Amino acid sequence: MRRTMLQSVFLYSCVVALALFTIAPLLWLVTMSISAPTDLTEVPLRWIPSEFDFSRYGALLNIDGGSGERFLSALRNSILTAGGATVIALMLAIPAAYSFSRRGASMVLLFAFLATIMMPPITYILPLYSTFSAFGMLNKTTTLIIVYTAMLLPFATWLMKANIDVLPVEVEQAAFMEGASTSYTIRTVVLPLALPAIAATAMLSFLVAWDEFFYALIFTNDLSAKTLPVAIADFSAGRVTDYGVIASVGVMATLPPAILAICFQKFIVSGLVAGSVKG
Amino acid sequence: MFGRRRKQEKWILLAPAILVLALITLIPLANTFWLSFTDTRISAIPSPVRFIGLENYIYALTDPEFREALYRTLYFTIVSVGLEGILGVAVAVLLNQKFRGHLILRALIILPWAVPTIVNAVAWRLIYHPDYGALNSLLFQLGLISDYRSWIGDPATAMNMVILADVWKNFPLVAYVALAALQTVPADLNKAAAIEGAGPWKRFWSITLPWIMGPLMVVMVLRTIEAFRVFDIIYVMTGGGPADSTKTASFYVYQEYFNYLRSGSGASYAVLVAGISAVLILFYYSSAKRQATGATA
Amino acid sequence: MPENQILSVESLQKTYGDVHVLKDINVAMEPGEFLVLVGPSGCGKSTLLSCISGLTEVSSGTIRIAGRDCTHMEPANRDIAMVFQSYALFPNMSVERNIGFGLEVRKVAEAEKKAKVSEVADLLKIEHLLQRRPAELSGGQRQRVAMGRALVRDPKLFLFDEPLSNLDAKLRVTMRTEIKRIHQATGASIVYVTHDQIEAMTLATRIVVMKDGVVQQIGTPHEIYNKPVNAFVADFMGAPSMNLMKGKATPEEGHIRLEIPTPQGRSVSLIDRKTPSQSFRNGPQDVLIGLRPEAMTDQKLSNGSALQSAECLLEVVEPAGADTYAVIHLGETEAIARLSADAPVQAGEMSSITFDLSKVSYFDISSGNRL
Ligand SMILES: Nc1ncnc2c1ncn2[C@@H]1O[C@H](COP(=O)(O)OP(=O)(O)OP(=O)(O)O)[C@@H](O)[C@H]1O
Ligand SMILES: [Mg+2]
Repeated sequence: MRRTMLQSVFLYSCVVALALFTIAPLLWLVTMSISAPTDLTEVPLRWIPSEFDFSRYGALLNIDGGSGERFLSALRNSILTAGGATVIALMLAIPAAYSFSRRGASMVLLFAFLATIMMPPITYILPLYSTFSAFGMLNKTTTLIIVYTAMLLPFATWLMKANIDVLPVEVEQAAFMEGASTSYTIRTVVLPLALPAIAATAMLSFLVAWDEFFYALIFTNDLSAKTLPVAIADFSAGRVTDYGVIASVGVMATLPPAILAICFQKFIVSGLVAGSVKG
Repeated sequence: MFGRRRKQEKWILLAPAILVLALITLIPLANTFWLSFTDTRISAIPSPVRFIGLENYIYALTDPEFREALYRTLYFTIVSVGLEGILGVAVAVLLNQKFRGHLILRALIILPWAVPTIVNAVAWRLIYHPDYGALNSLLFQLGLISDYRSWIGDPATAMNMVILADVWKNFPLVAYVALAALQTVPADLNKAAAIEGAGPWKRFWSITLPWIMGPLMVVMVLRTIEAFRVFDIIYVMTGGGPADSTKTASFYVYQEYFNYLRSGSGASYAVLVAGISAVLILFYYSSAKRQATGATA
Repeated sequence: MPENQILSVESLQKTYGDVHVLKDINVAMEPGEFLVLVGPSGCGKSTLLSCISGLTEVSSGTIRIAGRDCTHMEPANRDIAMVFQSYALFPNMSVERNIGFGLEVRKVAEAEKKAKVSEVADLLKIEHLLQRRPAELSGGQRQRVAMGRALVRDPKLFLFDEPLSNLDAKLRVTMRTEIKRIHQATGASIVYVTHDQIEAMTLATRIVVMKDGVVQQIGTPHEIYNKPVNAFVADFMGAPSMNLMKGKATPEEGHIRLEIPTPQGRSVSLIDRKTPSQSFRNGPQDVLIGLRPEAMTDQKLSNGSALQSAECLLEVVEPAGADTYAVIHLGETEAIARLSADAPVQAGEMSSITFDLSKVSYFDISSGNRL
């Protein structure tokens, strides 16, 4: 269908408005992170920095500086926590997903899995806190990994199940006919076939764990275990006079998920859509 | 696989996942339930636990502040999910058009989703800054306001500003789901309607929207469940203030636990919040199931 | 039950909920036989094969393989191998590993495994493909690999589920010959599912014809072709299928008189010079008269006494290379006659057709059973 002039104008106005709405807050965050501190306290603001100042990033990546140490240790903790939980969650989710997909485990149970992550974390937090505290496990990366594993598990199971469902069942049957055990079949036949799905699930899980704040806030209290979200909340709540520092930490924390999201857009979007719509 | 062996395997494969979920969610849930009938407090010196029956619940249900918090949560949930729904569908319809750069725009939309919740909160807090915030400066320079405002320092606007930040981060999910559904609308259907003389507006309401309603509902209910437990963004942006104007249910429970250290009473609030969530979850289940069976039929 | 049977299926039933898919199946098979299960889509062939393989659990009945009761045994323990319609090769493994997978699982020593794999590859002429992935193979090559995977373990029984149906017509013929060659070379016992009756006729030592979960007939290709037990088998086996014409059969002294009506109002009248069987004792009756197209021809046939001629109207004439097929309206059906390729006939003309009644079959008009 051909568009009239008026329709085109309207369409492109909407496009520009949407693009601005989407990108402006991010652009501003980046701009703040490279503006001179004095630019950021002008009234009204100077939108284009008078000079590009990348020193904050330098400081963040310098382990010896105050903010650098805080940032880098939080980065390390976030990578360890999110990475560890993702790996363990997948190791548990794959057999579970196989059971749902090929061994007739009840869908009601899968839904019960999903219901556990839909519940507000405040429902679990206090008993968890008391237990971890009793075992001296507060402020430990391991503790967060355990909790995040449980948090990632239902969604990972669900996504993997949906993906195993569409694998050709004859290939597994062939393996059974050849005498392979279930675990051997999963390892040598199902896993290689499901590799793209595993990658997508791992990415989404990693992003969810990377984003988690509430448990980290309550279970950690110093550099040894605090993750990026908690560190950022600290930066933001602290008496920082240079807002550019907060902005630069924000940019750094956004980079990994943003890069993943842009590079694996198709993967992630289809995972997201499947994960939120199919029940 | 045969009967018994198959059944055994089913449970062996599930066992590790069930174990972890039981330890980290089920047992704590039961424990919270139990706590809600006691007057336990968090303290270094363990004190004997006293069973006090429904006392906490009676208090919670008559506590006007808690009720306020619930209302605020409801307001936050309805307004932000509602806006996400409207914006999401509008964006999906836009992205479903062919125009120069539509693929780039489609890719860009994922960025807000990729921004971590806390970074989102921090960024918007900076944008809303009363003295040096971008929003004040922009509106001032455009001549829309004559004085700088304290957007999140004012109880009248704080909640709405938090909602704006939340909508910005979460509309992409709704948009992608709606877009995926839109792409399954048969072109013939629209053409047939156009031949029948239905205008674009009429076609949207009578064909497009009903067609995508199933998946849209499911994702909206999912967003409702998430919005209902909102905590992170509030914690960073306003800390529940000013004058409690953004104190939501989760935040309320959090304070009861970790500021006032009343775990027994906090648990009763938590159970009430969980009860409401459970209803929403069941609603999600039924809409997702309807969607799944409808899609295969 | 004789000990030397390689497979015996006794009173097997299979239901899914209230869908009765297999109804009282009884099949037995000697070592070295090539048993073909054939029948229209949805008749339960795959389900039966799946029950034999152990991938599906039976509802009741017994399955014995080489004398052992395997009814409740895992597929892996039945000493069988299966070739799937979709080949079901492991896409992530080389051809060599695919073929050797069963040996790998059984922890057979590397050297022995290599030797066996290469022996089978040699038999199947796929030595040059061993290092490739399944995705890099043509359909026929994948089919060979799938057979290689089955052959390498030298199991008691081979199961094939429509192994050729994903191949194009030409390749199907080649692979059919190939399968036959391998069967003859190895003497393997094979149960083979197909819905292609030509495949069934060419490959089988015995055929099992099924319909709606019921075995209709078990017999050699010759028996199935020439003595179908009912109208369904007659119609299903053979291409073009057997002409089933409605007509009147009158038993007379030492022969049967047949009257087959034509739309032109007159009847074709034929004499079957066989002593009427018991079924014809009750005097004249309406029957289905079954004649294969090759028994209705313009050619001079040798068995003189059974031959009858009649003038028939050829409604459609279809030259098909080696033969010419003519459609004749006879006995309320469009009967097909098989004429010689250069028969000087034209559609719409009357022509003399020779009927060979030596192989005529009669079926009850209501039950369809052979008389
Ligand atoms: N898992 C199942 N649940 C319910 N019904 C089934 C199941 N598997 C097969 N059936 C039914 O059993 C009948 C026989 O199926 P089967 O696959 O054995 O047919 P088939 O003879 O192999 O057909 P085809 O030639 O199309 O492969 C069909 O009507 C089918 O719908
Ligand atoms: Mg089949």
